[in-house]
Amino acid sequence: MSSIADQLRFEPASLPPESEALREEVRVFLNTELQDYSVIQRSHSWEAYDAEFSAKLGAKGWLGLTLPKEYGGQGRSAFDRYVVVEECLVAGAPTAFHWVADRQSGTLLTRYGSETQKKTIIPRITAGKACFAIGMSEPNSGSDLASLKTKAERTNSGWLVNGTKIWTSNAHRADYMIALFRTDPDPNKKHAGLSQFLIDLKQVKGITPRTIENLAGGKNFNEVAFVDVELPEEALIGVEGEGWRQVTEELALERSGPERYLSCFFLLRKLLDELNGEENPAILSKIGLQIAWAITLRNMSISIAAQLQAGENPTLAASVVKDLGCQFEQALPGLAQELCQLQPTLEGYGNSYQQILGNLIQIAPSFSLRGGTPEIMRGIIAKGMGIR
Amino acid sequence: MSELRNILEDSVNRLFSDQLDWSALEKHEKNGWAADLWAHVTEQGMDKVLAREEAGGMSGSWSDAYPIIRACGRYAVPVPLPETILAHWIAAQSNQDLREGVPSIFSKGCALKNGKLVLTKEGLPWGGRADFLIGIINGDVVIADTKNAVVNPQKNLGRDDRDTLTGELDILATHPTPLDDDTVHWLGALLRSAQIAGASAAALDLAVQYAGDREQFGRSLSKFQAIQHHLADLAGLVASVDAIAITAFARLDSAGISGNGRNARFEIAAAKCRASEAVEKITRISHQIHGAIGFTYEYGLHFVTRRLWAWRSEYGGVSEWGENLGRIAVEAGGDKIWPIITNKGQ
Repeated sequence: MSSIADQLRFEPASLPPESEALREEVRVFLNTELQDYSVIQRSHSWEAYDAEFSAKLGAKGWLGLTLPKEYGGQGRSAFDRYVVVEECLVAGAPTAFHWVADRQSGTLLTRYGSETQKKTIIPRITAGKACFAIGMSEPNSGSDLASLKTKAERTNSGWLVNGTKIWTSNAHRADYMIALFRTDPDPNKKHAGLSQFLIDLKQVKGITPRTIENLAGGKNFNEVAFVDVELPEEALIGVEGEGWRQVTEELALERSGPERYLSCFFLLRKLLDELNGEENPAILSKIGLQIAWAITLRNMSISIAAQLQAGENPTLAASVVKDLGCQFEQALPGLAQELCQLQPTLEGYGNSYQQILGNLIQIAPSFSLRGGTPEIMRGIIAKGMGIR
Repeated sequence: MSELRNILEDSVNRLFSDQLDWSALEKHEKNGWAADLWAHVTEQGMDKVLAREEAGGMSGSWSDAYPIIRACGRYAVPVPLPETILAHWIAAQSNQDLREGVPSIFSKGCALKNGKLVLTKEGLPWGGRADFLIGIINGDVVIADTKNAVVNPQKNLGRDDRDTLTGELDILATHPTPLDDDTVHWLGALLRSAQIAGASAAALDLAVQYAGDREQFGRSLSKFQAIQHHLADLAGLVASVDAIAITAFARLDSAGISGNGRNARFEIAAAKCRASEAVEKITRISHQIHGAIGFTYEYGLHFVTRRLWAWRSEYGGVSEWGENLGRIAVEAGGDKIWPIITNKGQ
């Protein structure tokens, strides 16, 4: 009997000494840089947009770490990048400006971009001076991404784009968007009719973002209208009709990182401070179980970093960690509320713990929406198990 | 993965899949001691993976031992192989070799009184079968003879022997050890984590197999999205238990279990805490997918799920290990917890 359990194993991996040395440097830097940020700002973590901070991180050489040196990257390992990312998340550093560029856009452009795109844009990514948005979801295409309708039609000079993207974080202030459009309207080519494009949001006309306020009052994401948008020929990334395959690779990068279990770690840290002196075994045991989860997820996540470093494509493993990580981080705010017996509050009311709690309780529903829902993750896992 | 570990994984899986089908497990449960199985295991030297080469052992690492101990869970192995592997390791830590015979291990609350070993009510793995007991008291490894013990036969839910022994036992040998007195309890928890990982893997494989074979409403169960999501959930949990267990074994190799500073205890506590917690959902989902057939004795899912329920609390469950980690975390506070988690130790 073939064993599914044997196919889904996470070989323990250890971060190399040079990555651990880098960790110390990053910690010292973050300690200094973040001391003037309020704990409430820090609890926003990878949703907090701060161009100045990103430029400083870029100046240290800590963005686009894995990108090739010939385009201004560092040519360093996936482990080095892993360490920078986890230290930023745990410290509550405001990383939203460079987040998408560092995580996926730089790698995508390195793989599929033109020489010109690589030469002009990757150095800006590594400098922390290019903010990227992701143009995937549409009003009628969420989990069923491949049903998207925004079309890019060939013209004499390039492409003409019409349609709407939605849930696009930072589209109102980003420099670039990498978007997935339909280049072949043939209904038989649901997946094969898709292509990826690079859009210079500061240059191109006809794109109108409309901010969508989230339930907590945050204003990160947008609905983005494309009306007769003219893109140059070279805006196409990679190969026409290969967009689905390329975007699947991009999603693997989006789903495999430590942010999929660390979104609430800053809250867990504050919870430990609130529980200072706690002796109740029942409460300690609940905390300990969360720590056990965190250690488990971290080791699984590092195992994935090792697979990325080895050039493998850990789609299945990444889906497992995203699904488990989401369960972990989504349960934390409720636990933090229960164990402290403090009311969660809106920003500006209550003490800082109450405000962080109030914020994370409100944004927790998004943890299982962004980057693919658990339902989609479980579908991918089922496929990997050969039962779908 | 080391070559030794690969070889051991292959040979242990071959041995147990040959020896332990459901009818064999049923026979062993009825007859008691699986003497033939024990003979196979010891002939192949599986018990000596951590023993010194001078004593005919393999001088392997804990990571090498992992596939053997995991397989003991996966195949519901009804002999004290994990415990014997540990006993050999304890002896080797003092450059000693374990005597011949079947050992059992005792972990806490035992005392030396007038040169005799006095035991508590702890259920000892195959204590009634054991030729001798091994444990650590006051910095000494203590080996005691079972011949004067009064055996009170007990079994856990897996129907594996967990006998209590009373009486004053003769000491066969003592020797100083660098290990702490609580080592058997901690490493007992580690063994059970690996066995839970193995038994969970078996439950998953059975559930996937059954969902593929069983048809209802004109198609196999595994074509229903509700079932697929149950199985995906189960697979993730099973993978997570395996991942933290093997991490703890690897950490034990690199950082040890004794002394101050960052050793493997953090990962061991996490492994048993997570494994014990996961048992609830792993057994629930795997039984649910099987429907009523999984509730019968004839279908062998219970050989692993009953052991999962037993192992969940042996050598401490979620509360004990959670409290242990929670205390470390709360004492460390928000600024120190992450450095503890990321500390690589030695």
